[in-house]
Amino acid sequence: MTGSLGQKLRIRAMVYVAGKPVPFFWPMRAFIHHNPLHGFEHLAFDEAVATGMRLFHASGFLPRATYQQYLADGRVDRRALERDVQRFVDSQQLSLPTDLASWLVTELLEHDGQAVERMTFASPEDVHSALSGSPLTEIADADPEALGAGLRKELLCGQPTYEVADALFGTTIGTELDERVIKACLDFFDEGQSVWSMPNRERGFFRAWLDVAGRDVRKTLRELLRQESTESGDDPETVITLVLTALQVPEEQWVAYLTRELARLHGWVGFIRWRSTAGHYYWQRLYPGDLVDYVAVRMLLALTLLRKRTQSAIPYTVGGVMEAIRSNPREMYLRREFYGNDTFVQMAHDLEDAVLRRNGARIDRVFVEYRDRKRKFEAERQAELLLESAQRAGCADALRRLSPEELSSLLAALQAFQKQEGKIWLKAMEARAMSSLLQGLSLQPEPPRERRPFAKALFCIDTRSERIRRHLESIGDYQTYGIAGFFGVPVSFMELGKGSENHLCPVILTPKNLVMEMTYAGIQDAAALTALEKALHELKESVLTPFVTVEAIGILFGFDMVGKTLLPATYNRWRKRLREERPASHLMLDKLTRGQADSVVRAVQRAVIVKAVEQEFRLEPEQISDFMVRELREAALARQTGCPEFAAITGLDEDGVNTFIHRLRDAYRINQSFAQLQLERLGRIGFTPDEQARFVAQALLSIGLTNEFSRFILLVGHGSSSENNPYESALDCGACGGSHGLVSARVLAQMANKPEVRRRLRAQGIDIPDDARFVPALHNTTTDELRLHDLALLPPKHLIYLDRLRKGLTAASRLCAQERLPSLQEHARMQDPAVAFRRARRNAMDWSQVRPEWGLSGNAYFIIGRRSLTRSETLDGRAFLHSYDYRLDPNRRLLENILTGPLVVGQWINMEHYFSTVDNERFGSGSKVYHNVAGRFGVMTGNLSDLRTGLPSQTVLDRGQPYHQPMRLITVIEAPFAQAENAVEDVVAVKQLVRNGWIRLLIIDPETSTVCLYDKGEWRKQAFVEGAEETVFQELLSP
Amino acid sequence: MSSLDMSSFGYILAAIFLPLFPASMLFNWLFFRIGNVWLRSGLLLVWPQLGLWLLAAVTEEPPVGLIYWGVLTAGLYAFRACALRDFRLWTAHMATSSWALLWLAAAVNEGGYEVNLQAAAFSAPFVLLAWFIFRIESSFGAAYAGAVGGLALTVPRLAGVLVMTVLAAVATPLFPGFFVLLQTITQALMVVPGAAVMVLGVWLLWAWAGTRILQGLVFGPASSEPGADLAGVTTGLLGSVLLVLVIAGIAFAEGLA
Repeated sequence: MTGSLGQKLRIRAMVYVAGKPVPFFWPMRAFIHHNPLHGFEHLAFDEAVATGMRLFHASGFLPRATYQQYLADGRVDRRALERDVQRFVDSQQLSLPTDLASWLVTELLEHDGQAVERMTFASPEDVHSALSGSPLTEIADADPEALGAGLRKELLCGQPTYEVADALFGTTIGTELDERVIKACLDFFDEGQSVWSMPNRERGFFRAWLDVAGRDVRKTLRELLRQESTESGDDPETVITLVLTALQVPEEQWVAYLTRELARLHGWVGFIRWRSTAGHYYWQRLYPGDLVDYVAVRMLLALTLLRKRTQSAIPYTVGGVMEAIRSNPREMYLRREFYGNDTFVQMAHDLEDAVLRRNGARIDRVFVEYRDRKRKFEAERQAELLLESAQRAGCADALRRLSPEELSSLLAALQAFQKQEGKIWLKAMEARAMSSLLQGLSLQPEPPRERRPFAKALFCIDTRSERIRRHLESIGDYQTYGIAGFFGVPVSFMELGKGSENHLCPVILTPKNLVMEMTYAGIQDAAALTALEKALHELKESVLTPFVTVEAIGILFGFDMVGKTLLPATYNRWRKRLREERPASHLMLDKLTRGQADSVVRAVQRAVIVKAVEQEFRLEPEQISDFMVRELREAALARQTGCPEFAAITGLDEDGVNTFIHRLRDAYRINQSFAQLQLERLGRIGFTPDEQARFVAQALLSIGLTNEFSRFILLVGHGSSSENNPYESALDCGACGGSHGLVSARVLAQMANKPEVRRRLRAQGIDIPDDARFVPALHNTTTDELRLHDLALLPPKHLIYLDRLRKGLTAASRLCAQERLPSLQEHARMQDPAVAFRRARRNAMDWSQVRPEWGLSGNAYFIIGRRSLTRSETLDGRAFLHSYDYRLDPNRRLLENILTGPLVVGQWINMEHYFSTVDNERFGSGSKVYHNVAGRFGVMTGNLSDLRTGLPSQTVLDRGQPYHQPMRLITVIEAPFAQAENAVEDVVAVKQLVRNGWIRLLIIDPETSTVCLYDKGEWRKQAFVEGAEETVFQELLSP
Repeated sequence: MSSLDMSSFGYILAAIFLPLFPASMLFNWLFFRIGNVWLRSGLLLVWPQLGLWLLAAVTEEPPVGLIYWGVLTAGLYAFRACALRDFRLWTAHMATSSWALLWLAAAVNEGGYEVNLQAAAFSAPFVLLAWFIFRIESSFGAAYAGAVGGLALTVPRLAGVLVMTVLAAVATPLFPGFFVLLQTITQALMVVPGAAVMVLGVWLLWAWAGTRILQGLVFGPASSEPGADLAGVTTGLLGSVLLVLVIAGIAFAEGLA
């Protein structure tokens, strides 16, 4: 039964469902920002946070002290806070002789601590007694049934049995298991970092691991198989079934049990989950592994460790633990208290003594004493906390007058408030952020111009573009636009010299078209320096050579270290000169015709045949004529029989020739079916002219750029540069799948500059003048440098304007660096722009710099609208700005596209930052200082840990305090209300995010000058008053 | 009463104050039950001196068996201390372990007050620890490693001075205990070499026990109940006492030379 197909499919389905709450983790070479609670987005935000907190043992909100500091800094709307507190009190329907709302507000504002603590033994009546100074009433002996039921509920509801053993018997099986699983994962999923790799990885994770697993594991498996009398034993599904059965986990709890298992190492699980779905991923195709493998490894190891460590003296099956609880409820309770880190410290020694001696009478005595003392302590402590809190609020007398029933209601209300407090602070913070944004928005349209701007620039919607756009607009006749950094063209890119494809688009899209980078330069040998570097690294990685390497050439590394440390800028410039320049390249953008594709396939086949003949018969090039190659090819493709010229030169008889022909077909794949496959693959290269025109039109229309085309239209992708930084790609373009945005800019520029594309655009009403040139550029967000590319493709008459353009870009870069640097360097004040620019560049080259830039930290807004809406407001790099002109989008298609792609990506980025800030250890990745690269796809803390997901503390925290202000993404759409609302309703994913409160949505209707906010399932509307005082919007934001 | 009876009675009494197992249990029982910090400190200072006085009163050389028993007792208590989480018990066990070695020190010393100074050198860090126990118990309810943890995060000054004091208690270099042990071992190598080697093992156990108790108290996740940290003056005062101990240690080193 265990090995039946149906059972296997059931296990696969269960693992799939169990893994859903764990978010994907992409390899860090192309870091993808994601929502750590993506698996709970179908729930309301606060519900999802509560669930995530339980599953990942994390915090979902900031500590109260931080919110209090925000309030003092004017970043929290106090009125909104008070209103939400009042709303909470009203919802409780209490009749207390005290102003509870005022009490709670005082507590929030003036105290950094909780007024209510969890009580295990004390009751509200006990607290009442403690408050009134009377002795606690006697209580009956604890009912063993009730005690056992409580323990069973706490310990046996989907919790892995080793966690139960650890909690009851002080073992550390969970930790040991995690370590062994991590080692197994490191060995199997390694992508070239290890010198010695795990053998037989092509057999899959579980089987390859089983081959090298210890004897203890194999023994466990043998015993399991023997007990079940099953023979098809080494498939992972069967192993999972056998282990769960051996642990006596009820089948209805399997999914919950597996979820708990998977959540323990959610970084590795997220990576394996993603990898198993990434069909195009090279390493997955080479060494397949999925969550079923992972769970099988984990379960088998867990059972092995449980058997080894408990030595049959400790119950570890569900049935065993239940029996232990049933027969010794008091002992188990004391054990749970002692080993479960919930000890009443005053009696810790007695507790330890009792559980170690396991003497029934002693346990009974200690239990009674423990209960009485803890009960008294809890009651007195709770009374003291309440009294202090009431005194702060000036209602201590009222508290003392409360009846036991009223006190019980009060305690329940305070506990409920504690759960909602974070959300209340968050909403008050968002209210302030929204009101300050609304104050600066403008509905005044752009004044008409007499002549076109000198240049227009399309930047990524990335928050870092906001600053440079502002500065570029301020220094000259420039107009800027915001568009998703892949410029609306999903591309699978094959870089020059690389054999694998890289998807340049948001991860929610799968590109259909392949773009290849080509160069006129021939195949080049690796530069001497590169070869030397490679040799040195290989020496370091070998087993024996490091011993002599250090003595012999260690000094070279010493020079390198001194140079990088003391003079990073100068030294890196010098090193750069030693490296070979990258040759100029072109992108293969156009679709091949059938004839062209056939020709390419023919050329490839000919080249392969030449190589085959050279290698197998040692013929010189002059002996291999075109005619001979043609006859071999035709014969291999079964279009002719016999190859007389080939037979004559090689002296082979007919059988020999036929053998080689067969070899060409089978080994060298010169056959019809492979040729067909190649043709299909070639069919993916490039875009048809219609496709190109469609993409260009869509990009221009979506940002409202349909006229007044300047001489230069810059397509500015962005990327970052930093040294010694595994998180470098986290600073690159999220819309380009975590890569630089330059290729996407080059793609769109090449498309838009083509006459046939422009002809088609003209037919659609977009008339791009002949002198308007699209120029790709790269914004380096670490240095703020703006660099133009593909200038060789510019017409000569444009070159005379280049100098002005370059000067403008340089000025904007310097001003941007000047604005940005003080937030990066503690003692840097507003410096000279040139100095700031130099310092920013030094940051990018400094290998000791843990924070080369703040990246997207600080993101808070996503604004979809015309530039005129935000032009007069300084947004401090906190806003994603997507240009959009609703007048060009009567059927809402463009808006829906923006919502589907860029907004969803923006929300992922926002949530990644939110959760990395509120709990950097669990949702973020902790300090970079302790990170080590794992397997070339992730980082671990120290030498063995879960894969660290999320953002490092250096990205979101500043000296331990949040730099990023964690809020949900405040999204503004400038469009008529009905148009925007319908667009949101039509995009299911966004509708869910808005309705479940993952995004705060504001619609500004320019037609009616109203602003609308979606909150608690309804739209609230108010007239939009430009430049109004903050209080004007308070009715809307906190009614 | 014969001289044999007298000396036997003297050794039995001395075995209580220079604790030899099982007589050592009396001190541990007392120390664990005394709540007053001054009484505890007094006990730590006076207890081994009483033992030495009693030992001196017995004019005969102690039998070699007792010396070995002392080293074994030291080893037993050091080994037990490795597994203890209650700081009060840990201190009592470590004090017992170090005082048990005074049998050997007394046997290899040439008389005078040197061994009394050595006993005081052993006791001094424990007196400081008694104060720390009081302080931690007052703040957290108990001084129990693991249940009260992460002091480095919540009370960094207290944690810092506590670490130095524990290092002094486990006879780390520059503190007097280190030089006392060194002197005892070098002198014992000539007389009772087996015991000298065993002392090295005891020393290793001390270091292990010290590491474990610090791991439970000072490092790891912080306890949910943060207490008040030491005031600057108190920290300075405790630091000065530790400095005096270091100077005393150097003075012992001169004696070693």
